[in-house]
Amino acid sequence: MIRLQNVRKVFNADKANEFVAIEGVNLSIDSHGATVLKGPSGSGKTTLLSILGCMARPTSGRIMLKEREITSLPERFLTEVRRETFGIVFQQFNLIKGITALENVMLPAYPNGEKHASLKKRAMELLDLLNLIGKAFSKVEWLSGGEAQRIAIARALINNPAIIIADEPTAHLDTRLSREFMEIMRQLKKEGKTLLIASHDPIVYDSTVIDRIVEIRDGKIVSSGDIP
Amino acid sequence: MGAIEKQRNILDFTLSSLGRRKGKNIALVVVYTFVIFLLASVLFFTHSLKKEAFLILQDAPEMTVQRLLAGRQDLIPTHYIDTIRQIRGVQSVAPRLWGYYYDAMSGANYTLMVNAELNDRAGEIIIGNGVSMRSMSGKRNQALRRNDIIPFKTYDGSVLTLKVRGLLPFASELVTADLILVSEADFRKLFSIANDQATDLVLNVRNAKELSTIAAKITQIHPDTRPILREEILRTYDAVFDWRGGVIFMVLSGVFFAFIILAWDKATGLSAEEKREIGILKAIGWETSDILLMKFWEGSAVSMAAFFMGIFLAYLHIFLASSILFEPVLKGWSVLYPSFRLTPYISVYHIATLFFLTVIPYTVVTIVPSWRSATIDPDSVMRM
Amino acid sequence: MLERKSDLFFSALVAGALLICLMFMDAAISQRLDREFVQERREVVRVLTLTDLCLFTEARYTRHPSMADLHTPFQDHPMSFDHFPSGAIMAVPPHLKRKAGTLQRWISDPRERQ
Repeated sequence: MIRLQNVRKVFNADKANEFVAIEGVNLSIDSHGATVLKGPSGSGKTTLLSILGCMARPTSGRIMLKEREITSLPERFLTEVRRETFGIVFQQFNLIKGITALENVMLPAYPNGEKHASLKKRAMELLDLLNLIGKAFSKVEWLSGGEAQRIAIARALINNPAIIIADEPTAHLDTRLSREFMEIMRQLKKEGKTLLIASHDPIVYDSTVIDRIVEIRDGKIVSSGDIP
Repeated sequence: MGAIEKQRNILDFTLSSLGRRKGKNIALVVVYTFVIFLLASVLFFTHSLKKEAFLILQDAPEMTVQRLLAGRQDLIPTHYIDTIRQIRGVQSVAPRLWGYYYDAMSGANYTLMVNAELNDRAGEIIIGNGVSMRSMSGKRNQALRRNDIIPFKTYDGSVLTLKVRGLLPFASELVTADLILVSEADFRKLFSIANDQATDLVLNVRNAKELSTIAAKITQIHPDTRPILREEILRTYDAVFDWRGGVIFMVLSGVFFAFIILAWDKATGLSAEEKREIGILKAIGWETSDILLMKFWEGSAVSMAAFFMGIFLAYLHIFLASSILFEPVLKGWSVLYPSFRLTPYISVYHIATLFFLTVIPYTVVTIVPSWRSATIDPDSVMRM
Repeated sequence: MLERKSDLFFSALVAGALLICLMFMDAAISQRLDREFVQERREVVRVLTLTDLCLFTEARYTRHPSMADLHTPFQDHPMSFDHFPSGAIMAVPPHLKRKAGTLQRWISDPRERQ
């Protein structure tokens, strides 16, 4: 589904603080699988995740999404591709404070120009699915950590993406909530979503949901084997 | 359809977003409303006054002839009347006798003017409404009425007492508030002006097209005179309150620019929180143009609200509350000030001017500085 | 009906526009009602041969700006044009700003008046 060819990402190029985040990465992600990017902090997994999720462009190398070269797409199209293909769950949840949970869930779909009524209906269905229907009209800062994360998941799902990307999803959750998160992921996988998770939490990479672990260290892929 | 729905979706979010900083945004709208209110009040006031002046001065004398002496207006000899009357095209020439009288008791300046109707009623006066309110008789806080006696100090030091015969119509206060109409005999006695002299001459002509030719002829025959045409009187009032030239407008522009700077500062100094939000929106699939659209709606919402409220309040202020805030400025040091209710004359041009002067700059000022924040990479939130 | 905030916004926009329309209507009605007063003032101006509005009674050149000659404002002191607050609000009558000697030209040539 996604293929990276010899991808390299450099921050602050040609400056004193030049920093190579990832280098020489070749990686192929198949549909309907669950992949974990594993590695210590600073290993480049977040950078790799943003490149995989079309949020950042590589300094060099090529990205193919469904056999389509997307590295050179202009911003507008890239944003569109990202919006339609990826749903992202951030480490800090990154919900917009001060507005309701429902509005947060609907936000990624706003630029699509979907009819408000049907969009709201879909958002409510997602909230229902994640047992959050009672919190729809609460402001997000009143939610607990677990609730906030489920809102973030609902938001990632609103545009019905093929791929769900999660960056350190369990970093701010206790064990019970982490397991709960993995159960939701199992559900999504069963529905046919492709999962891409960056994590160094055993609850995540030891989970039976995961098909494949890609290990990263110092910006390079150390091992990319499937789980036997 | 999708495009409209998109706009509305983004507007929904913008309004929710504005609602979060309620106190700050309400304060902003209030200040902004006040600025527009002041600008609109000035425009409405001056425009209506100009229009009013234009309408009622249509019947001012076609031509007034003054005599200048050493750079000052001086009394004009009445024998000029005969020579001017002989100019072809002149229909009638009449002397005017008028001047100012300072009343030490009330501290007010009055305009004394001779009216032919009083000429066989020497000793009587007709007064404007403003004069009657400013009691000259010593009885403070009491309006002058018919048959009240007013003492005038003549220029030779004696006292001349005149009796109020009546009041000028209420509706004419805008032109007659400080007027005291007297008989010719009393006027000459009061100011010791010789019988062969007048303040100035007013004339009517047969054909208005010949006015300038006649004016030229008058200055030829009497080089010491200065003709003033009605057209010039009308133009005077057009210029006196021209909003582009008025100091009021300059002052208000200052206020307005200060406000724009404030808005600019607010917009450029996007808080870390706001920047983070823009990053989140970009990361979840908003384009740069969507962010700018949001900022556009934000600027529009604030400035449109202020625009409508400001204009409406200004209308109430000028036409229903008699420009109560401007009164101290307009009165200045005048002791006597006409109380009048302006007839509302508003023009689409002025509303449009205000719109382009306020809503557009504010909206631009909200969008432009957020440009840089809007172009941040969508992955920036991942790295935070 | 007004479930969405944007609905509320557009309603407010329409209300604002209506308010402005109302203003124009009110102005038109007032103008009609005031017509006879305007006529009355006009008559007073004609009968009494008045030349100016009685707005500022503090100085000669503010009480009768159209009758003021170029030097009147300066008769007390060269800077006294702004001596009175009203002098600061008003602009100088345009016919006083013509340069010396242009009066004849102005009178004889209509183009000069623009």
